[in-house]
Amino acid sequence: MNNLIVSKSISGALTAFFCIALFVIYLPILVMIIFSFNSGKYQTLPFREPTLEWYVNLIADRSFIESFFTSIIMASLASLAATSLGFLAAYAFSKAKVPFHALFLGLILCPLVIPIILIGIGIRLQIVAIGIQPALWLVLIGQTLYVLPLAVINLKNRIDKIPNSIEEAAISLGSSRLTSICLILVPICAPTIFATILLTFTFSFDEFVIAYFLTNFEITLPIRIWTSLVTGFEPKINAVGTAVFIFSLTLGLIAQFILLFKQPETQKN
Amino acid sequence: MLGSSNIANPWPFLLPALMLSCLFFLLPTINMIFLSLTSETGLGFGNFRDFFATPHLTQALMRSLLLALFSTVIAGFVAWPLAYFIVFCVKEKWRPLFLLAILAPFWTSFTIRAFSWQLVLSDNGVITWLIEQLTGLSIALGFLYTMKASVFGLALFGSMLCTFTLYGALVSIDRKVIEAASTLGAKPLQIFRDIIFPLGLPGWLAGIALSFIVCIGDYAVPTLLGGGLKPVLAQIMLSVLKGTYNLSQAATIATILAITVIICAAPLVLLRHVFRRSILA
Repeated sequence: MNNLIVSKSISGALTAFFCIALFVIYLPILVMIIFSFNSGKYQTLPFREPTLEWYVNLIADRSFIESFFTSIIMASLASLAATSLGFLAAYAFSKAKVPFHALFLGLILCPLVIPIILIGIGIRLQIVAIGIQPALWLVLIGQTLYVLPLAVINLKNRIDKIPNSIEEAAISLGSSRLTSICLILVPICAPTIFATILLTFTFSFDEFVIAYFLTNFEITLPIRIWTSLVTGFEPKINAVGTAVFIFSLTLGLIAQFILLFKQPETQKN
Repeated sequence: MLGSSNIANPWPFLLPALMLSCLFFLLPTINMIFLSLTSETGLGFGNFRDFFATPHLTQALMRSLLLALFSTVIAGFVAWPLAYFIVFCVKEKWRPLFLLAILAPFWTSFTIRAFSWQLVLSDNGVITWLIEQLTGLSIALGFLYTMKASVFGLALFGSMLCTFTLYGALVSIDRKVIEAASTLGAKPLQIFRDIIFPLGLPGWLAGIALSFIVCIGDYAVPTLLGGGLKPVLAQIMLSVLKGTYNLSQAATIATILAITVIICAAPLVLLRHVFRRSILA
């Protein structure tokens, strides 16, 4: 079948291009991981003695550890908030006649299609206008807003595929709307809900611009990393980068695997 | 039948999300536009006149535009062979895995990926070292902290985005159509031109629009790879907001950025709708 569209030589060229792309994408990350085990203060080759010094330094550095836990808490709250709000909204958009459907859906999805920096600056200008100090709870709101579209899209795709008849059956047998949501809809969507929580978590965990705009002194991990990058190099930044990369990658991959493989099939060709 | 399961009153479900969007997105946006129209002389376009009369601001706007344009064009070209390879050269069950291989770094910190390129591209980075090992020449690459480096970093990010959306469009093409065309004697090039390209176009355009939006508003890559000497609009915006506290100037710059995004991305979105329609018709 495939050779209908792609001749052998083109297929070879495409394979080569794909491999080069993979190489380019992963080269810097590989270099960073290697450097994180390299002794010596300067980030230059050749590779010297392997060392775990930077990782030990990292664990001993309270500012990094504290900002890490701040980020974990913020991302957990933001992902749970976005997924719950997103589930409710997706349910309404999918199963109800919403007046001005496109307008409201557009408003909720809008943060996805504007530069993130505008979300941060908008809230910042607003709070200055009404005299609220920048603080972590604002970061939480900003990041929830930022990941909400992802949650709505993922969950709406899933709920759209659930036939109305299932809920109809439950309700005509005497179940309340709430019971049918909790006992039928949520369990059916459980893998997608889980994936959405993970995905929104990683996005919020890595988010930098909104957090930077909406805090003065509290520090999330991306802000701590940023400060270190622009104010002078610390060798342990390679170790941080490696740790964050592996952490986010694991969560993101689990989420993507669920979304790509555990979803019900659409139409089979 | 449809009516009975429909929720009669969607508002309890919708309201929490809508409240969030209205209070922390819609309202701040209105406030931002209002601020940008307010100057010492009262309501008017004074701030915008000031903006366009200040060379280093208009230069920053041009830089942002060019940066986003170049990166997006490169990303758009790179996306085709990548998505095409995954959809048409890889067995069906392996496709998501190949897509994930391209997208995986996408889910990790943008800042860290930009930083990791510093290690490779800097004048005493990996590439310089490799050249020295291979040829014995010690040269300064002079690539890091230039606009070219920013374009490179953003194009890479945009490529992943475009590949993702184009993949979505290509993978849903009904194979029977291609088989039918082939049975009826269409050559591979014809199949590409008449079937695959037009059907992939909506996904491709969506990816291009998204990639442009990310590139024009990004702050991390222009700072870490492009350096601070020739700032883009996002960098100026941040320094205004965190440095001089000139709120109406910050609001003006943000509004101009938003308008630029709308002007540049809207035609792409429209084009996408036109193509979708013409395919369905």
